[in-house]
Amino acid sequence: MADPDCDFQTGESGASATYPMQCSALRKNGYVVLKGRPCKIVEMSTSKTGKHGHAKVNLVGIDIFTNKKYEDMCPSTHNMDVPDIKRLDYQLVNISENYMSLMSDNGDVREDLRVPENEVGKEIEAKFEAVAHSCLFLPSTCWFCHSHS
Amino acid sequence: MRACVCVVCSQIKGSFIPPLPSAAPPSMVSTEQRQHAEHVFLSFRKSKSPFAICKHILETSKVDYVLFQAATAIMEAVVREWILLEKTSIESLRAFLLTYVLQRPNLQKYVREQILLAVAVIVKRGSLDKSINCKSIFHEVGQLISSGNPTVQTLACSILTALLSEFSSSSKTSSIGLSMEFHGSCKRLFQEEGLRQIFMLTMEVLQEFSRRENLSAQMSSVFQRYLALANQVLSWNFLPPNHILSLSVNVTLKPTESWREALLDTRVMDLFFTVHRKIREDSDMAQDSLQCLAQLASMHGPIFPDESAQVSYLAHLVEGLLSMINGIEIEDSEAVGISNIISNLITMFPRSILTALPSDLFTSFINCLTLLTCSFGRSAALEEVLDKDDMVYMEAYDKLLESWLTLVQDEEHFPRGCFIQPAIQVFNSYIQCHLAAPDGTRNLTTGSCSQDQLSSIGMLGRVAADHCIPLLTSLLEDRVTRLHGQLQRTQQHLMASSDPGSVDRKVLDDLYEDIHWLILVSGYLLADDPQGETPLIPSEVMEFSIKHSTEVDINTTLQILGSPGEKASSIPGCNRTDSVIRLLSAVLRTSEVESRATRASLTELLSPQMGKDIVWFLRRWAKTYLLVDEKLYEQISMPLSTAFGADTEGAQWIVGYLLEKVINNLSVWSSEAELANDTVELLVTLVEKRERANIVVQCESWWNLAKQFASRSPPLHLLSSSVQRSLMKALVLGGFAHMDSDTKQQYWAEVLHPLQQRFLNLINQENFAQISQEEAVKREIVATLEALCGIAEATQIDNVASLFSFLMDFLSSCIGLMEVYSNTPETINLIIEVFVEVAHKQICYLGETKSMKLYEACLTLLQVYSKNNQSRKRGDATAEEDQYQDLLLIMELLTNLLSKEFIDFSDTDEVFRNQDQGTPASNRTVSAADVVLYGVNIVLPLMSQDLLKFPSLCNQYYKLITFICEIFPEKIPQLPEDLFKSLMFSLELGMTSMSSEISQLCLEALSPLAEQCAKNQEKDTPLFIATRHFLKLVFDMLVLQKHNTEMTVAAGEALYTLVCLHQAEYSELVETLLSSQRDAVIYQRLADAFNKLTASSTPPTMDRKQKVAFLKSLEEFVANVGGLLCVK
Repeated sequence: MADPDCDFQTGESGASATYPMQCSALRKNGYVVLKGRPCKIVEMSTSKTGKHGHAKVNLVGIDIFTNKKYEDMCPSTHNMDVPDIKRLDYQLVNISENYMSLMSDNGDVREDLRVPENEVGKEIEAKFEAVAHSCLFLPSTCWFCHSHS
Repeated sequence: MRACVCVVCSQIKGSFIPPLPSAAPPSMVSTEQRQHAEHVFLSFRKSKSPFAICKHILETSKVDYVLFQAATAIMEAVVREWILLEKTSIESLRAFLLTYVLQRPNLQKYVREQILLAVAVIVKRGSLDKSINCKSIFHEVGQLISSGNPTVQTLACSILTALLSEFSSSSKTSSIGLSMEFHGSCKRLFQEEGLRQIFMLTMEVLQEFSRRENLSAQMSSVFQRYLALANQVLSWNFLPPNHILSLSVNVTLKPTESWREALLDTRVMDLFFTVHRKIREDSDMAQDSLQCLAQLASMHGPIFPDESAQVSYLAHLVEGLLSMINGIEIEDSEAVGISNIISNLITMFPRSILTALPSDLFTSFINCLTLLTCSFGRSAALEEVLDKDDMVYMEAYDKLLESWLTLVQDEEHFPRGCFIQPAIQVFNSYIQCHLAAPDGTRNLTTGSCSQDQLSSIGMLGRVAADHCIPLLTSLLEDRVTRLHGQLQRTQQHLMASSDPGSVDRKVLDDLYEDIHWLILVSGYLLADDPQGETPLIPSEVMEFSIKHSTEVDINTTLQILGSPGEKASSIPGCNRTDSVIRLLSAVLRTSEVESRATRASLTELLSPQMGKDIVWFLRRWAKTYLLVDEKLYEQISMPLSTAFGADTEGAQWIVGYLLEKVINNLSVWSSEAELANDTVELLVTLVEKRERANIVVQCESWWNLAKQFASRSPPLHLLSSSVQRSLMKALVLGGFAHMDSDTKQQYWAEVLHPLQQRFLNLINQENFAQISQEEAVKREIVATLEALCGIAEATQIDNVASLFSFLMDFLSSCIGLMEVYSNTPETINLIIEVFVEVAHKQICYLGETKSMKLYEACLTLLQVYSKNNQSRKRGDATAEEDQYQDLLLIMELLTNLLSKEFIDFSDTDEVFRNQDQGTPASNRTVSAADVVLYGVNIVLPLMSQDLLKFPSLCNQYYKLITFICEIFPEKIPQLPEDLFKSLMFSLELGMTSMSSEISQLCLEALSPLAEQCAKNQEKDTPLFIATRHFLKLVFDMLVLQKHNTEMTVAAGEALYTLVCLHQAEYSELVETLLSSQRDAVIYQRLADAFNKLTASSTPPTMDRKQKVAFLKSLEEFVANVGGLLCVK
């Protein structure tokens, strides 16, 4: 795999990665699929067409993996797909040649993730140095690239 | 010479003249050069006795800006050196300036005005020691006017305008470093003499011009100036006796007695009518002439010797007005002015004067008003279509409708029934403008609804109930039938062609818009929406129903009411129904068509706006009419009490119907947030009064709703959080209706227990910490928290016992959630909000032991918050907003807890009598003070000046710290040093540089602090030193600054306690102030005033009686010398 970060996006099972939700029931800070990408909703507003028209919802979301911004507008009665986000906590056991050994709650260890090359990565290393072990969170999701047809 | 700083002249006749810069194009000047030039001018203006130099500059310089500066320098120096100058040299200076302007007709306007301003300031300053004779000025100006030369006349007008601005003692007046008292007495003198002179001169000019046939452009511009001057005179804010400052904003004409001859002369008013006729096509001038007439129409006060004078004045005004309006086509630019005249005369003249008018004159006036209102209303509707920026007719229409409201509210003063016909006409024209053809003239659907307009129209509808109620009913019934038909046709069309885009919405939208307006007007006509009072059926509506009750067949009426699915006209005997009930039935029919359409899956075709209108109406109606209480009325209509009274089938049926409507709406319209909100508010209205709730809980659908909501099953879970909250509130309120104990137990088991059960199951799961971030779990938690807020909102005195116990169980679990969700600010906010709501709604009912439990819980919450907050990173962009929300909520929580100290309905746990009493009070562990001070420890360090820029945060913050000072002054000295300092700094900041509301709050905090110091008797404590500083601040504020009267009381109380504490320092302050007075008279007046101020309370002691005496003397003190030291 060229970019190990992409590994976040593959899921472990074939279960449905999204479920439908009425657009008006979405909330700011919640999640939604915009243009096929799982996004965190950062802005949500309603508008209507004409005095006797029905409400429309304008959504602005940030892709949870790429931080890219997506926008969409749909009638508030329509259903939107909501990604089933699951968050897994791993304990950092070791760092070896920039790869981390991570232990999940049931004791399984995975060693396929590189220390991110950014501020978070530096922080992980620093903390690891300091206490030799530390807790960190990684977002994980049973997310498949969902295509709308 | 052009290069920036140039020397005008260096040395003349031995006097040194500073080099004055001349104006140069901005592009050629650097910033430094500009600053330097400014500095040169500013220091030049301050130079001593610059008169000779200035004269020289005026005579020689060709640079306008330099001339301007020279005039300014003269003005400032004259005032500064007044006492040192010979009276004759002042007089010659004034003469010089006037001649200078006269001889130079081509001066730049701003230079000329500045020189005239200097003249006016000299005149005003001179009027104080009578060194300048105003009469001679007016004589000179009079001569200028009679010269007939337009340029000279313009100049004369400018002189008069400058005098007017200077003497008006308003924001236009120049600052000349004299007390407000001086400005006030100048103004008083002027309004008795000079002002009237100016008025007479102006009238002469207007008279002269109005006689001329053809006016040249130049003449006409002179005319315009004098007209504007006349308007300024008539808009003079006459200073009442014994006042230094005038406060009112909307100036009405209230001249003193001495103006009788000038203003009661009918020729004055006639002249303004004539003038207006002459210039009405010039929109600028017309505004002035109409404004003059409007001012004349507002005239009141001592100018009228008796009622008959007032009557004949009004009669003359009305006659003039009618003959002006009749026979002309009103220009757009006249609409607002004319409506101002009418509105002023209706508001300002007493009813007895209006009714004393000759009856045919009064009738003509009312008829004219009616026609004008209808015509402005039509033009206003056209303006909306054209989407004009400047809605002159709308403004005029609003004014006239407001005037109608004033008239109709005083109806009993006028001949019986005299407003019925006008009301019908205005009402009809309003309806016509808002309905589509053929009944109406509306041609678009975007009009906004003005509540003021609707209230006036509703009121007029009541006056002519006989006409208006049946009219609304038949129009609405007709539209509903058509809507029904149109929806059916559309449905067939959709079945035939599957393309929903092919539906023509025009017809439907037109019907929706018609129905929208008809329902709004019906709602405003049938009921009021008073805040906090029991709404009553309007007496006109009640009388109307009673009047016709003998002709009414009650059974048919009930049949029409009870069959919203059928066409009203298809029911036999439908002509003999009660009209008030029939109008409600028409709305119910609309509602029924809507509900049926949703069941037929035509929701897409419906209008959410109409849905909102329907529930809005039903809620307003239900508050007033449902279960009508006969005890509240002198007489009651049989049909109304039979249909809607307590224990009637009609009332039961309607409650059931409304409930079905609510349930249907909540499932169909969950996607329309506002409509869902209005719907759930209707539900709350149904259960918030016990009598209505008793009927509601007997309905099966209510129980189904409760079960459905408790199980969080679709579609209710789709509703927005605020709707879910209100729904929970309604369900809890319903639970306190009358039920037998088994039923009640069952109800709570259905409503509240599932909530608790699900919550406990979730958080007690072993792996809760791991699953807590899963979306489904988070949603469940958020829904529970929202529900808890809703439960707290439902608190009433008779249910607080059970609700408090129920909520307390949750609160400790909520604190646990603070840890789990420390990274999810919105959840943290929601948790704090639960505490805020519980404290807000319940603390006032809680006895000692229960309060303590709540305090403990709040303290733990704050501790956890503080711990998490320290470790929490606030890196991202929304951090400030999050923090703002947290802080606001925490301060709200603390304020709510403190409110217990002054709003307390608890009767030593009376409401909890049957429950376990818990820990006895003697062992109290946590007090409100502990919680609040702990909270302040958290809040204070986080409050930055930036955060104080959020107005709501700022208000909440100052409310909180004032409460703390008032309630726990003894805790203040115990605060840690930096906390104490920042608290004191906050108080000073609030007093000196925030809004007056906040400054008042801070002043209120000072007395308890000073009293605390006095109690302790320790000197040199930080608080003691701080109060000394505050003494100086408050002293300066009261004595030296302009302040509003509301503040005087708060400042006075603070001052008094501070004076008690620091008597020596106070005497010192007074001494310093007195010794700085050079004027012996002022010194004496001040010294006397200060003596009087403290006479009744010497030596000052913290005793209520003395304090009251002091406050009273302070009032006098402020009135006496308040303006003396306040400099402008």
